[in-house]
Amino acid sequence: MALFPDYPIETARLRLRPFTRGDVDAVFAYRSLEAVALYLFDPPLSREECALAVQQRTTQVSIEDEGDRLILAVEAAGLGVVGEVSLILRSKDARQGELGWIFHPAHQGVGYASEAATALLDLAFEGGEMHRVYARCDALNMASWRLMERLGMRREAHFREHALFKGRWDEEFIYAILDREWTERRGPVHPIE
Amino acid sequence: MTFSNLPIDTDRLLLRSFERADTPTVSRYHTLPGVQRYVERATRYPEEVAAAVEIMRGQTALQRPGDTLTMAMVRKGDRTLVGHVSLHWSDATAGQGEVRFVIDPAMAGNGYLSEALSALFDLAFGHFRIHRLLVRCDGRNHHSAKLMQKLGMRLEAHYREHALFQGEWDEELHFAILDREWQASTKVRPLPLRKRVA
Repeated sequence: MALFPDYPIETARLRLRPFTRGDVDAVFAYRSLEAVALYLFDPPLSREECALAVQQRTTQVSIEDEGDRLILAVEAAGLGVVGEVSLILRSKDARQGELGWIFHPAHQGVGYASEAATALLDLAFEGGEMHRVYARCDALNMASWRLMERLGMRREAHFREHALFKGRWDEEFIYAILDREWTERRGPVHPIE
Repeated sequence: MTFSNLPIDTDRLLLRSFERADTPTVSRYHTLPGVQRYVERATRYPEEVAAAVEIMRGQTALQRPGDTLTMAMVRKGDRTLVGHVSLHWSDATAGQGEVRFVIDPAMAGNGYLSEALSALFDLAFGHFRIHRLLVRCDGRNHHSAKLMQKLGMRLEAHYREHALFQGEWDEELHFAILDREWQASTKVRPLPLRKRVA
């Protein structure tokens, strides 16, 4: 179930491709924002931290072993990098993956995250042969969990005060979808002749 | 947070530490397929049960996160061991605890678990100042799920096929309750009758 995708991955409006060293400014443009960091584990990042993150990401382009991750830059025509999507192999035996995304607030609300996440779910279940993919978010992050619902994911957990997050009680959602459920939603990818 | 008030006295039960002499009784029910089906670590043979009893015998206090307190449930009248309950202190900063339990299937249906778990919740929230208690159970284990709801716990997670368990896709439920919810739901016990003085 190793996953070595051919890049770029193209969707109707987007290109998903590995990060390169030239992406530091684009990443800094959104990872430095308080509004973006609000629900992430990291605080807003400095330009140096972004440079370090981008450097790591240039090698996070394939999945072979547990813990491996794909983190891809999402480019829209004429806009450059508008955000990023990620897929992590959480369990090799049980074929579990975790999906994530971060987008620049200026480019939210136009369906880019949905389009990029759909491409990554296709990749996870087809090439990656994953059995189940889940995503997590803060219960207050409505844009994120609404997207999970639009992707056909099911709310499997709603944890209340199970941990401290940035000095307050955390409330968290976990959404998930199984391979057969995704296939059913997407219809046959390669029609039988 | 040490604890030396064992045994705990409930209406019909004593909750006490495990003793080596408990091994044959634990062996008798813990090796049953109906019990093994839902336990995290297999104890199918008497030697495995003896090793588990040794571990439980040492679980008598919560001194640091990661510690577990395990208590045997003993019926008051005939001192029959009917099962055990345990409290695992999983996180200190966020005050998280996890409760586990096993009952001899022959003794199930009498409300013993409900009685022992109520006492354990009192202990966890009252004495150990736990903020949130978690119970996990298999999605097919309807007896446990019903018991959790009866205790006022909320279903917080229902994972489907998120892992492999005993060679099959696992389905797992998480139930939880917060300290303020438990305090609010606990019935106020009537005061004992006092002798009239005038």
